[in-house]
Amino acid sequence: MSSKQRQFDALVRSLSGDLFRYAYWLCGDEALAHDLVQETFLRAWRALDDLREIAAAKAWLITILRREHARLYERKMPQFADVDEIEIAEERGTQLPEFTGEEGLIRNAMLRLEPKYREPLLMQVLGGFSCEEIARELGITPAAVMTQVFRARQKLKVMLTGDDKGSQVHELS
Amino acid sequence: MNCLEFRRQLGADPQSAKADFLRHRQECAGCAEAHARATGFETTLRRAFEIPAPAQLAESILFAQAKREQRQRQLYRRSAVLALAASIVLAFGIGMRVRAEPLTSMAVDHLREEAATLTLTKPVAAQSVREAFATRGITLVDVPEGVSFVGCCPMGHHLTVHLVMRDNNQPITVIYVIDQRDEARADFQREGWRGRSVPLGSGTLILLAQDGTRFDEVEKTWRAAIGPASGSARS
Repeated sequence: MSSKQRQFDALVRSLSGDLFRYAYWLCGDEALAHDLVQETFLRAWRALDDLREIAAAKAWLITILRREHARLYERKMPQFADVDEIEIAEERGTQLPEFTGEEGLIRNAMLRLEPKYREPLLMQVLGGFSCEEIARELGITPAAVMTQVFRARQKLKVMLTGDDKGSQVHELS
Repeated sequence: MNCLEFRRQLGADPQSAKADFLRHRQECAGCAEAHARATGFETTLRRAFEIPAPAQLAESILFAQAKREQRQRQLYRRSAVLALAASIVLAFGIGMRVRAEPLTSMAVDHLREEAATLTLTKPVAAQSVREAFATRGITLVDVPEGVSFVGCCPMGHHLTVHLVMRDNNQPITVIYVIDQRDEARADFQREGWRGRSVPLGSGTLILLAQDGTRFDEVEKTWRAAIGPASGSARS
């Protein structure tokens, strides 16, 4: 086995789970998340020589995954579904074991969160990125990132408690 | 850092390790309590994010990569074979084209390249003509008169003796191709030149001039000079 192949194997085994979770929260679909992660790693294999530091691998892979996700939506034609079908799909999702209990409530709330709030929160909590790193990745200012993750948490709390008075919202300057 | 700034930072990044953030948490009981609540929420949030990845995810990715690599290698191999086949076909095609190009056409091209020989008027010694043919392995029976140029020229991949004869001041080019004998005697016209191709000995005699009226006579003298089989060709 070549050293490149060994390095790739190690990356896949150590980071595919995290990447899958990231992809899932990005697109909200398990099968699509699986495809996204696979395509991300296949692209990463071709560009593996560009990876200078192994410590930066996760951020590098997430960047590839986000691009792949964006490409997917560029290619995807708008699909129109009957409103009844959407309700059934949501019901199915919420019946899964992962969507029951307290964590299930949060997961459902996460899927209802607008992408502009969900993604920076995802990068911070799941990716472990700092606000500066998220800002670079998303092409916005660190202050805007702080506002978005702040609001993301507040919105989640409101969705979970059903009471926006329970959360004190402090707007960021 | 005051309480408002602390709460803002807490809402945006509860895991912040900034010195003033940590200091305020130690100094303010209310904010420390808020921090504890936020940390609890963060733990739940993190757990909620941790949905299980499909079993065999890593294996399926590695399998897909191995398959794609294998396909890529096959594609490279196939491309290499195709490229090789294409170059063989191309080389064969070029070879066939060279082989297929008629002597008459090559002779006209050669004459165009060596047009300066047509301007020479000084007679060449009979011995020089004999020597030129001898170089190509041919012993002349006789040497025709009126030769104003003689040279052993390559013509494409053929070996020739190239001569110019003058008749009433009109040049007639004579090219004897040593190593290829045409099937039949033929007159031709090409690029403004009149020509005649004559199988002679083991080669082909080609005559080229603006006017072919003297070809019969010139052919006759060269038939007599070369003979039916005048030795073997030599490079």
